[in-house]
Amino acid sequence: MRTILCAALFVTATTPLLAGDLHGKVACKGVRDSSDAVVSIAAIPGKTFPAPKEHAKIDQANLVFHPHVLPVLVGTTVDFLNSDAVLHNVFTPDACAEKFNLGTWPKGQVKSFEFKKECAATLLCKVHPEMEAFVVALPTPYFAVTKADGTYHIPDVPDGTYTVKVWHPKLKAAQKSVTVAGATATDFEISR
Amino acid sequence: MNISVRRLPWAFCLVAGLVLADARPAAAVPAFSRKYQTSCQTCHVIFPKLNPFGQAFRLNGYRMPQETAEQVKQKPVSLGAEAYERMWPEMVWPSDLPGNVPFALNTKMANIYSSSVDETGHQVVHNDFQFPQEANLFAAGTLGKNFGFFGEFTWAERPDGGSDTEIEHARLDVISPFGPEHLVNFRIGKLSPNLYDGFQEMWLMTDNGVDTLFTYNPIGFHGGTGLSEEEAGVSLPQRARAIEMYGVAAHRLFYTIGIDSPIGPGGPGGTFGSNSQKDFYARVDYKIGGMGLDGDTTGVQLPPENWRENSLRVGVLGYTGNGKDVNFDVTDDEGNPFKMQDRRYNRIGVFASLYFGDLNLFGVALHGTDKLALLDDTTLAQIEETRRTYDAWFAQADYVIRPPFQVSVRYENLRVADPTVPSIRALNANFSFLIRANIKAMLEYHRDLRESQNYTLATVLRFAL
Repeated sequence: MRTILCAALFVTATTPLLAGDLHGKVACKGVRDSSDAVVSIAAIPGKTFPAPKEHAKIDQANLVFHPHVLPVLVGTTVDFLNSDAVLHNVFTPDACAEKFNLGTWPKGQVKSFEFKKECAATLLCKVHPEMEAFVVALPTPYFAVTKADGTYHIPDVPDGTYTVKVWHPKLKAAQKSVTVAGATATDFEISR
Repeated sequence: MNISVRRLPWAFCLVAGLVLADARPAAAVPAFSRKYQTSCQTCHVIFPKLNPFGQAFRLNGYRMPQETAEQVKQKPVSLGAEAYERMWPEMVWPSDLPGNVPFALNTKMANIYSSSVDETGHQVVHNDFQFPQEANLFAAGTLGKNFGFFGEFTWAERPDGGSDTEIEHARLDVISPFGPEHLVNFRIGKLSPNLYDGFQEMWLMTDNGVDTLFTYNPIGFHGGTGLSEEEAGVSLPQRARAIEMYGVAAHRLFYTIGIDSPIGPGGPGGTFGSNSQKDFYARVDYKIGGMGLDGDTTGVQLPPENWRENSLRVGVLGYTGNGKDVNFDVTDDEGNPFKMQDRRYNRIGVFASLYFGDLNLFGVALHGTDKLALLDDTTLAQIEETRRTYDAWFAQADYVIRPPFQVSVRYENLRVADPTVPSIRALNANFSFLIRANIKAMLEYHRDLRESQNYTLATVLRFAL
């Protein structure tokens, strides 16, 4: 028993990269609820992250993009599936995503785009102007989207001091410096 | 006005008067925006003009192609579990109601600057704020799997401050009750016949309708002399009390056949069913390229700009009826009164619509024949029977400059039956600006090409909610 306790104390004391988590609440003022805010850790100097091989997915079903907000790591390829019996289109007016326009495609088919730069890209469908979604391409894999009550949880964050950013489709972005040490809580309030 | 009068200035006044009094139905139906939680521009270019998907949506009985329950965002009220279908006729076949009251309102305000020539040859100018000019209350939706409905109640304020009301549409649709989907559908009620699909006045982006096609009056001592007014016949009924069957076969072939009460010619004062007869109409079209007429896109690569496609649609249409026993008042050149009946009227026409990118060029050419019986004014004894013909055609170009900005130019030509009256030629030019998705402004110029002082300039503001 003494050996185990000693080992645990040793690991705790000598492992600064021990993963903790970052959690908390984003209060979104002036919108219906506090969902769809993206909380992320900004670029970490000297550190890069390889893009995942697995593609992220956005579905177009019943004339709605699912999910509405999708954070990804820079370099991620996003697949856009059309699940409707009508034609859909995906394009973005944002230069950071090369103002891509994927044309139209029918039910069951997929078109893809790789987000090569940091970007908060607005996704639109020319065929159905009410459709809107966002892909937020981020420099680190430490991100989360808030739930309706504003809560978020970013797991496996190495201990350290970071700039934590909050982005929202309709509200002003915010950021602050946060020191993560194990389970760390930090809250934000953003408004128009 | 005596319809045998052939003095041109008076005819010009008539044209201008019709334009002034025109309360053309507006047709953007936000009830469907609410039902599907989708934008007006899913179906409209600039409302009310339909894009190819909107045309297919309309022909599908206001349903999405291969519609699923999830696409209907307003949950309908069930009037019976689906399982009751298996128990019919022991139980009532189930249906449903729209989740919300399916009403929509379209309001139009206009400033009409008009110039015309009166009986004495003097120019008469009006500059009239028609705020509002009309309001249209729509009710539209579906009733279970195979039924739909469409209604439009219009309140129009006349330039003199009076007002008119009319049920412009009130119909029940039966959608694909049997057979392959889209092939067989029925409509019953007061409706705008699918005989005019693609150029129905309610879907035109211009404020003025195609009067030379729809409101020509074929009745006259020497044959028709011009456009219709009250107590006169018309060449084609814009709206009819009808039973109609229509459908789309193999995605590209459209047909419709219908039977309706004789409204024109045959209905003095716009009354229906003025004799024991019925009118008949039919049309067949084929579309090459672009989206299928039922919304099918199999094997077709379409651009994301949903008003664009490269396609050609051509069709033939016909209308026939018997105006026996429907008497019109006419006078000869000396003013002596007679009665006249249009005992057989036939209309045959061709329609073509070309989509090429941002341009939609379409038109109709119509040939009409009327067997006119001249009767004694008191004894109704037949004096003579003559066959008169007329030709009407129009061509219209609609061009999308950018989605909020569109222009339209239309030329109309009508060779009337009376050989002493020159053809009516008219130009209509429109600039439309979509201020918001459901608010639009228009500047429209309509000119009688025979007389430079006969024109209207309309500034129109419309919104739908």
